[in-house]
Amino acid sequence: MAAAVCIGTGAGVSPLIGSAADIVRQIGTGARSAASVLAETKALIHTRNSDLNCFTAMTFERAEREAAAIDALQARGVPLPPLAGVPYAVKNLFDVEGMVTLAGAKINAGNPPAAADATIVARMSRAGAVLVGALNMEELAYGFLTENHHYGTTRNPHDHTRGAGGSSGGSAAAVGAGMLPITLGSDTSGSIRVPASLCGVFGLKPTYGRLPRTGTYPFVNSFDHVGPFANSVLGLGLAYDALQGPDPADPACAQRPVEPAGVSLVLPRGIRIGILGGWFHEWADPAARRAVQLAASALGATEWALLKSAEVARAAAYIITGAEGGALHRPRLIEQYEDFGPSSRARLVAGGLIPASWVIQAQRVRQQAHGEALNLFQHFDLLMAAAAPAVAPRVGQETLLINGRSIPTKAGLGVLTQPISCIGLPVCTVPVWPGEGESPAERALPVGVQLIGAPWCEGLCLAAARTLEQAGIAEVRPPLNYAAAKFTR
Amino acid sequence: MTQGSDNPLEAYVRAALALQGYTFEDAEIAEITAQFARLEAIARTVFDWPLPFASEPAPVFRP
Repeated sequence: MAAAVCIGTGAGVSPLIGSAADIVRQIGTGARSAASVLAETKALIHTRNSDLNCFTAMTFERAEREAAAIDALQARGVPLPPLAGVPYAVKNLFDVEGMVTLAGAKINAGNPPAAADATIVARMSRAGAVLVGALNMEELAYGFLTENHHYGTTRNPHDHTRGAGGSSGGSAAAVGAGMLPITLGSDTSGSIRVPASLCGVFGLKPTYGRLPRTGTYPFVNSFDHVGPFANSVLGLGLAYDALQGPDPADPACAQRPVEPAGVSLVLPRGIRIGILGGWFHEWADPAARRAVQLAASALGATEWALLKSAEVARAAAYIITGAEGGALHRPRLIEQYEDFGPSSRARLVAGGLIPASWVIQAQRVRQQAHGEALNLFQHFDLLMAAAAPAVAPRVGQETLLINGRSIPTKAGLGVLTQPISCIGLPVCTVPVWPGEGESPAERALPVGVQLIGAPWCEGLCLAAARTLEQAGIAEVRPPLNYAAAKFTR
Repeated sequence: MTQGSDNPLEAYVRAALALQGYTFEDAEIAEITAQFARLEAIARTVFDWPLPFASEPAPVFRP
């Protein structure tokens, strides 16, 4: 393995690439060039990706061009864009001009390359970010693991015997391993929040309809969201602000103006925070409960909140997901069944057989659950719950045992996220380190905490996340197998 | 594809597959039926949830 050209650790390889805010500041002052940041990033990827299998493609030629353009602006003294020189990568369901959009599936490998970038990839470019590659995911985004039959398993940066979660597993693991400060992913039922939880990084699933999905490979139109991962809350906010804005090409996009959230991450005084009990407590194991407790204490949250329709909202999401996913892929399932992975093809076909009456009933339940949540926000400004029921499971582990109850891993990891995405609420997931578990290995793993806002209140979620980060409760830690130094936020 | 089944779920799956243009061997139908049974079990939660008669589905078409 090549030694990376890095800064500041004396160990040859940085434990984590710097935060986006640091990189922007360093390039802005001329302390570093975008080209040198890119060189460091490439070295980190070269050193670490073979352990983890985060990337399915590199875009280094494009990255060299984008970095050179930033350095040219800096040389001319032109004001730099907000993400100037920040390296990032995208889940491989985002269109990247000139690349085939795989969505983790062999059935897409023969498709023509994308003619243009997805809208939010283009927005990252306009903000000065530097695209270095495409990232592994669960096939067609259907599942909470990234054990991809075609493109391999993405492993957890904190324990290579464990999974990264999914479906945006490559996106979370690349940040958790310290290779990148920002990545993009998608979340239909928890696919940003679950891998963020398992890999110990920050992730933002905005309100449904906030960010445009134009140029992304769809899965369930009713629930598909896109959003960023980051190694700091400031970086998450910078990316989120760069991604916002209307896009008439996405019929679900809310066409709202940009509402900057990353500039003022201060939690208002007197904020009312509820800790979600009931379903969210029952399906959280001791480590997940401890993570919530740590975050609640730091935020001064003491009151329990109950979303009575959580279980039925999850069930409704399950039915709608099955029906829409199955219908979407029916032509290819008929023609190319053998080319789908064995863990997804029968599920997809079965979903396509769901009767219309089930789907209609599920959509009515969804509407009612949404109403109940809005009522809850009359009493609370923010809700919180664990993002996953437990720490990262081992690769290939088929079931989770949560408080004496067994649940299939592939679907069960989303048991705490699915009720929330069903009703489209914004969530910032923050990495907490509860130090709970039966073994030292488990006690070294993170669990994410969901900070859940009312619709369009992403700024509040981010401000709470920043408060936890500043209190030292939420942080991205360098994996133990890399040098144990921290980076500056 | 073998026809006929005493299992109502499997019978439904076989009929629905045929209606949608799928052709599968028995082993594949058994796997799909098992997946459909999981969906049906989860769907029961949704069926049993009390809703006002006039409650509308979530998606709203805005012309």
